[in-house]
Parts: sequence; structure tokens; C-alpha cells
Amino acid sequence: MIELQTARPFFEDKPELLQEILGRYPDYGRRSALMPLLWEVQRAERYVSEARIAEIADILDLTATEVRGVMSFYSTYHGEPVGRYHLQVCATLSCKLAGADQLTDYLEDTLGLVPGETDAEGRFSLQKVECLGSCTTAPVLQVNDTYYERVGRADVDALLAAMKEDVLPEPARVRAGDNERYGPAAPAGEEDA
Amino acid sequence: MKIHVNDVPLDVAPGTSVIDAVFAAGYDVPYFCSQEYMSPIGACRMCLARVGAPRKDRATGEWILDEATGDAKIFWFPNPMATCTTQVMEGMVVDTLSKEVKRAQNGMVEFTLVNHPLDCPTCDKGGACELQDRAYEYGTGESRFVFDKRHQEKHHALSEAITLDRERCIHCKRCVRYFEEVPGDEVLDFIERGGHTYIGTLEDGLPSPFSGNITDICPVGALLDSTSRFRGRNWEYHHTDTTSLDDPSGAALRIDARTGRIERIKAGLNDEVNKTWIDDGTRFGHEYADHADRITLPMVRKDGRLEPVAWSEAMRVVRDKLGGVDGTKVGVAIRADATLEEGVAAQALAAHLGTGRLDHAPRPAASVLPGGAPATLRDVATSDGLLVLGDPTHEAAIVDLRIKDALKGVPPADLLPHGVPIADLRLTERMPRKTEILTVVAPYRTDLMKHAGRTVTPPAGGEGALLRALLALAHARTEAQGASDPGKAADAALAGWDDAVGMSAADAAALLDALAAAEAPVLIWGGFVSADPDADAAARALATAVGAKTLILGPMANAAGLERIGVLPSHERYAYDPASSEVRAWILGDLDPAQDPTVAKRFADLDALIVHAAFENATTALADVVLPAVTGYEKEGSTLNAEGRLLPVRAAPVEAGAATDFTGVVKAYGEAAGERLEGRSVRSARRVLKKRLDVDLAELPDDGRLLPPAPAAARGARALPARRAATGSALVVPSLVRIEHLDRNPTLLREHGGPTLRMHPSDAHAHGLTRGEVVTVPVGGIPRRLVVAPDDGVPEGTWLVPTLPDQPVGLHPLDLDALRRERGETAEVA
Ligand code: SF4
Ligand code: FES
Ligand code: FES
Repeated sequence: MIELQTARPFFEDKPELLQEILGRYPDYGRRSALMPLLWEVQRAERYVSEARIAEIADILDLTATEVRGVMSFYSTYHGEPVGRYHLQVCATLSCKLAGADQLTDYLEDTLGLVPGETDAEGRFSLQKVECLGSCTTAPVLQVNDTYYERVGRADVDALLAAMKEDVLPEPARVRAGDNERYGPAAPAGEEDA
Repeated sequence: MKIHVNDVPLDVAPGTSVIDAVFAAGYDVPYFCSQEYMSPIGACRMCLARVGAPRKDRATGEWILDEATGDAKIFWFPNPMATCTTQVMEGMVVDTLSKEVKRAQNGMVEFTLVNHPLDCPTCDKGGACELQDRAYEYGTGESRFVFDKRHQEKHHALSEAITLDRERCIHCKRCVRYFEEVPGDEVLDFIERGGHTYIGTLEDGLPSPFSGNITDICPVGALLDSTSRFRGRNWEYHHTDTTSLDDPSGAALRIDARTGRIERIKAGLNDEVNKTWIDDGTRFGHEYADHADRITLPMVRKDGRLEPVAWSEAMRVVRDKLGGVDGTKVGVAIRADATLEEGVAAQALAAHLGTGRLDHAPRPAASVLPGGAPATLRDVATSDGLLVLGDPTHEAAIVDLRIKDALKGVPPADLLPHGVPIADLRLTERMPRKTEILTVVAPYRTDLMKHAGRTVTPPAGGEGALLRALLALAHARTEAQGASDPGKAADAALAGWDDAVGMSAADAAALLDALAAAEAPVLIWGGFVSADPDADAAARALATAVGAKTLILGPMANAAGLERIGVLPSHERYAYDPASSEVRAWILGDLDPAQDPTVAKRFADLDALIVHAAFENATTALADVVLPAVTGYEKEGSTLNAEGRLLPVRAAPVEAGAATDFTGVVKAYGEAAGERLEGRSVRSARRVLKKRLDVDLAELPDDGRLLPPAPAAARGARALPARRAATGSALVVPSLVRIEHLDRNPTLLREHGGPTLRMHPSDAHAHGLTRGEVVTVPVGGIPRRLVVAPDDGVPEGTWLVPTLPDQPVGLHPLDLDALRRERGETAEVA
């Protein structure tokens, strides 16, 4: 892993930011600052290295293990650098029923990646994540911070093609109740049950 | 509170958990995540029961009645409840027997087993596994799960001493909670989430001196003690419930032995002492007892070589050798972890020989028996003002944990009919700790300081000056109260304060205020104070001045007991001094003073050197007669822990040839001398002790018995003239890992690393020493082989060396000019 950029502590030159974040919490709840600190690092560096974990642990007087425990709970944070387009397929129940497995298979085949991998170019990363909270528009594919809902095969093809040109298209906002864009259709009469 | 569990009416204290009520009623529910002495969290959902309670009418405030019966109507909760996190309510009704509850339990067992590998036939926990037992009792024996189970690492070394099987883990979170709640070292956590969750650490090798306890509490075979992995099945072990002779805590142990060797040590339960926890040195430090080079037969020197002989012959030689020596010139010394019974034997032997040169070693310059008001471990755990001088984590590890109990501010729970509460609802995860009640004083940064609101670092050997200053300040402040202008007088008292003692005047005043304000203050001190009689006297006076109880941590397990029964010289002039030229013959129990070349030279022209030892060492190499000794695991007897509790020591079945304890030595000697000496057996020693202590040690309960402090008069008669405190730049410090056994404890050695020489990084730099290099350096005459470990918690100019029984805690001269490096060339790079 390339650790060059982590040689200097992340928050060293950001004392105001650090104070602002720590100031949000009372002293006994200092550890609550863990999430925002992780998020700052993740946003700036696209992953949180072990050196950063140790730095945050130090700031909050925690052990690195605790930081890692919290961090690994959320698929938002990454222990390794991810590609420019981070494809996150929801793999929880509603999306599974709506064909998330087929979606994952399709992405695996098309990109030649298995979940957890990044391509050599550093363009795409593929990951399975837990419920994205958008179950009514299953299956959901999150790319970086953008949700693509009810994604069918054609949508995926279009999306990948655009991203190969380094364009992240606007997501199409789909109406609730429209359930036929991908995967097996819901049995008649049950959509609104 | 009146409640019903099935058909049993019960009166329980408010705040009791339903699970405890169920057990108190004599019923059972299965559970995995709850654990005695830890917070209940409701994670495993195995403890389900149907729970209902009457309700009051909001408008009238009257109980709502059941129309049919006229009794209060029971409103059942809509779902089965986790009994561990539910509190009892007035009139509550609990059902653990209905079909509905059975169904819920069946379901939870099936669910818990979904990803469990069911590899019980090859699992060390098999036969003593909570999951296995509960699956048999509460499962249906069938699973509807037809998919692939989750596959994870099966042999993950969390540390050198603990192996984790991630497939077996059922995510009860006991181990994770344990580290945060008990020792306060958060070194283990859940990683990932949902079905992917596993236990992991980023810290190198679980850095906590109490890590091994997780292998006891893991309800499945996920966390295993590497010293015993694959070495035996649970039903093959012979269990011995005994007391640790590792340190003066007096922790309860369970020794599991098989075919004559110790396979593992687990914590025993003693609610008053160690609860269910022991330290890693005690748990993993047993391998030496089974080491191949144990001395198993008596040996007598013939033509310069030690030859194995029978006990009777060895003892004839001893008798004849001693026969030629003036009795008053014989010295008898036993190690300070000998049992009380061995102490009596040593006394009888010394009396028979007519010598006053009897002692136990190591014995600090000052007494380790508390004066005025002794503190028990319960007093420590319920104190609201603690002043600790020393390093209890390493001196008596359990004291460290009981101090941490006090920080939680939750007094020990009352025992229930089934024992310790399973789910004590007063305990929660991440409780706020009242660190402000704890002050730790030590000449270097200790583990406990992390948990202390106030830390003080006096110069090494400076405890006396600090305590005297505190005492003077306490007295001056008391006087000031009576002065015409108390405020001014109090300021005047502070004016003379000298910060060089290690703390500022303001800090000192705050500390005294805190102790004065505390309702149950306790003063704890260990070897650094006891090494200096002046410091000891000041500590005792300070305790009296602030009304604190005292707990003194002696150098080894039974130091207090041996002092109490008087295994002491008739005059301090005759105190144990192996270098003394007045002694013509020595009888030594488990001591190895000849590590010091000066002593070795002296020993070369003794008339007789008789050594009772379990392993050959520098002293047996010079001995005329070597007698095989048992280790602390193989003794029958009793010990007195630091708080003054008599505790039973029982023998595990370890194959050790003709080895005996010291009573065996005295018996054999008596036989050779044609005399029946007192203390010739544990039984005869106990007869003597019964007269002296008024306790029948054969009847001692498992959790021991507090011995009332010795009457002041008796203590006065025993009071020894003070010895002087030593000086030097090496500070010999307590060690939770017994260094003298480390070479024969391979697991512990890998886990802990070799004995270290710790110094400030700048001192390391100045002497060109690099981390990890091995050096040999004379410390107080004994050449010590140590691993260099720079540590910025050590003040400049002080060098820390872990103690040996033959090198007690305190200052010793250090000969840095004679330091030799094991790998000279590599060290030059520094
Ligand atoms: S390793 Fe054992 S104690 Fe820890 S969570 Fe898993 S089952 Fe529970
Ligand atoms: S299950 Fe996919 S968003 Fe909820
Ligand atoms: S939920 Fe685990 S014991 Fe109650």
C-alpha cells in the first residue's frame, strides 16, 4: 500500500477544523467525534489508512482497535484506496428480491472484478453493501455518493459507458410503483400490499 | 418486590434482573452473553421468557383487576423478553416453561448454530461448552439451514497465548466487553458488521496484563489458551481448586492437570478476592512446572559431583554435615511464597538446630503487616479516595482490578441463592469512571496511571521524602484549623512545600483534601515504600492522620503470613544475608543467592550448603546436598494474602518424582536425627498454627477467612529494628511475570518477551543502546541478562530492572561500565 501521503498527521495543519469537531461534544463524550474525524479523512483521501486510524485513536484517547471497529461497521469508510467510481450494490433483502444478485453478477462479469476489488487503472471498485435505506426503489446501486435506483441491465451499461468517459450521469428519478425495470416482475396485485 | 416465576412466589430486591429472579427461583433459562461481574447487554437473545405484569388504572391509580378472578390482571408483553436486560416489577409474572417459550428457545438455538461449525469432536471446549450444553438442553437437534456456512479463520493467533477460531464465535461480545469493563484496556473489538462480524484487534498481541480471562468467559471454543490447545479433553482433566502463590493477591485458581502434568490454569471464583479474574503471568506461567529438567531426586555431592540418592541417605549426609557445625552458625531461609505450614516447619528446624538465623526472603526492610486499620479488597473496591504508592498491577495484580472496581462506583453485588448475579443491571458498557478518586505515586509511569485522576512521579527512592512532606502538611493543616486565622495559617503551612518531592503544593493540598473528604479512604503501598523504613513509618502515620485504612503489598505470595507467624530472625542482626561470613552452614528453600558471584565465592567455603529447589541453579551448583522441591502448584497448605485472608493451597497431581515441600524436608531430617519435629507434615504444622492463630486450617473454606489483625502487643514484641534503605541507580521493579521461571515458560516468554532493562530514550542514546538488543549488566552484584527497552515513562538517570526473588524491589547499585552486549557489532549502529 502506498503510504507516502500519510507521513504527516492529517489534522496537523487543520487545528481549527479539529477544534471545531471536538467542540461539538462535551468532554465526557469526546469519543463521539470519531465519526466526523473519520469522515474528514475519508472524504479527503478516499480511504482511511492505518496511520490515520492511529492518529485518530491518539486524538480521542482510544485504541486503534476501537477506531477500526467503528470504521469497519460502516461501508462508507474504506481501509484501502478505492477507485474513482466506487460501485456499491445493496445486498440486503429488498434489493436481493429485486435482483441485486444478478446485478452484482453482471457487474462482476463486465468489470472483471469481485466485490472488494479495484481495477488496475484505479477507475472502478466494486463492493456489496448493506441496506442503503432506499428499499422502495430496489435494486439500488450507489456510485460514490449518488444513488441509482431500480437499475436494470441497460441502465448499468449506460452508466458504465459514461463513467469510462469520466462522466457521472445524473440519476434518473423513478416513480414509486414502477417495478419493471430490472429483474423479475413482482407478482400481480402485490405491489401495493 | 413480590413476583412469580412459574409456580414459585419470590421476594426479590428492586433492580434485580429477571434472569436472576428465574435462577433464584430454582429455574433455568439458557444464556450466552450475560456474564457475572459484567454488564448485561441483551445481545444473544437466548434468555427469552414470557413476562407479564399487572397495570394500574391511569385515572384511579388502582390495579386493573381480572374480572373472572378478582385478582390483578396480568398484561403480558407482546413478545418474549430478554430476561437479562429486564428488571423485575412489583407483581411480575415470569413464564419459562410454556410451549411458546420453548419455541422461542428452539428458534434461538437454531439461529445461533446457523454459522457455527459444530466441530465439537475436535474442539478443546467440547464437554465444557456452554453452547454445546445449551444446544442439547434447549435445541431441537435439527436445523433448517441448508446453505453454506460462513467460513473464517480457524487458527488466528490473537496473541502468543490466545488462539481465536473465528468460525466458532457466536458474537456474544463477552470478550469485547470484558476488556473495556474489567481491565479497561480496549484492545479487542467487533470488526465489520452483520453476518460478517468477527473479533479482531489492531494492537499488537493484546497488550493487557489480564488478556487470558477471555478464554475463561468465551461461551464457546472460539478463544482458547494456547498453552493447552489440543492437549486434552475436558473430562480427562483433574481439577484442583487452589490459591495462586504467584503474588500476594491470593487469587483463586483452578488447575487442570492430566497424566501428571499441568495443562492449563483457569481463574477460580472468589467473590471477595479475584472475582473470576486472574492475570496473565499467573495463567500462562505454569509451563515451567512440567519442564524436563525438574529435580526429582535428592542429590549428594560425591567427588565433586551431585549424585542422586534416596531421601534417607541424603538426610544422613545432612545430619552428619550439620552435626559438625555450631548450631548458632547455621542459617535457615525459605522463600516468601512458602506456605504457612512450611513456615512452621522452618521454625521447628531452626529451633532444633538452636539457631536464631531464621528468615524468609525476600523480606523488605519494613513490615508488610498493616498496623491500625487493615483494608480488605472489598474496602478497596468500595473506597472513594485511593492513594496508591507503587505498581499494584505488577505487585498484586488483583488489587489493580479491585481499584478499577472502585472507579466504577458500583459496590459488590449481594450474593443470590445461585451465587453472583448473572446480570447485574447496575453495570453498563462504558460506564463513566471516577478517576478523580485515584492518586497513583510511582517513580516511573505505571499501567495504573492511565486510570488515575492524579499521578505523582517522585524521584526513585523519594517516596519517604514525599510522604513525610505530605504528613507534615496534613499535621500543619490540622493545627491551622485551630489558629486564629485558619486561612493564613493554612497558607503558611503550604509555604514551606518543596516541589522537588515530586508534586506541587497545590496538588498536595488537593490530594489531602480529597482524602479528608472521602468517606472510606484507603492507602495502598508496595515494595518501594516497604524498602525504606522511613517511608513506611511516614505512610502509616499519614494513614492515621487522614483516617485511611491500609493495604500493604508484600514482595511475594505469603510474605505477610510468614511475618505474621514469625518466620523471622531472633534479632535483626541475624537477618538473611547470604554474604555474611558468620554463617557456616545454610539451609535454603527455593532461593538462589549464588547468582551473585560474591555470594558464590563465600559459599565455596561453607561447612554445609543444603538447598531445597525445583531446578538446578547457581546455588545448587555449589550445594553439598540438593533436595527436590515441589512448585507452588503441588503444595498442600495455606497462605495469607495481602488483605490478611487465610486461603487454602491445594496440590495438583503433577509428576515430580520424590519432590516435597519444606515440611517434607523437616520430616526427613527429623527421621534422620531421631526426632519428631513440629511441622513434619502439613497436619502437624496445622496443629501448631491452630494454637497460634486460633484457626483450623484444614477446615478453611474455598474463599478463605479473614484473620483478625495481630494484637498490637504481639506485633510490638516482633517489631524489628529498622534496616536502612538501599541506594543505587537501578530501580528493581515488581513484575507480574515471574522472571525466574520465564526461561522455562515458552508461551509466556513469547507473549511477554524477555526481561527488560527500561530506561529513558535519552539514556539509551547516551549509552548507544538500541531497542531489542540483549545485554548483561551487574545489578546489585547479580549479572542480569536483559532486553533493552527505551521507554519515555522512565525518568532520566533511572534504569528499571524486573525483580527476582533474590533481588527484591527497590534501589540497587548498577554497574553500567560492566555492561556487555550480546551482539556488539549491531549495537554500534545506534
Ligand atoms: S470470541 Fe467468544 S466471547 Fe468473544 S464474542 Fe465470540 S463467542 Fe463471545
Ligand atoms: S435493501 Fe437495498 S436499499 Fe434497503
Ligand atoms: S440476551 Fe444474552 S443473556 Fe440475555
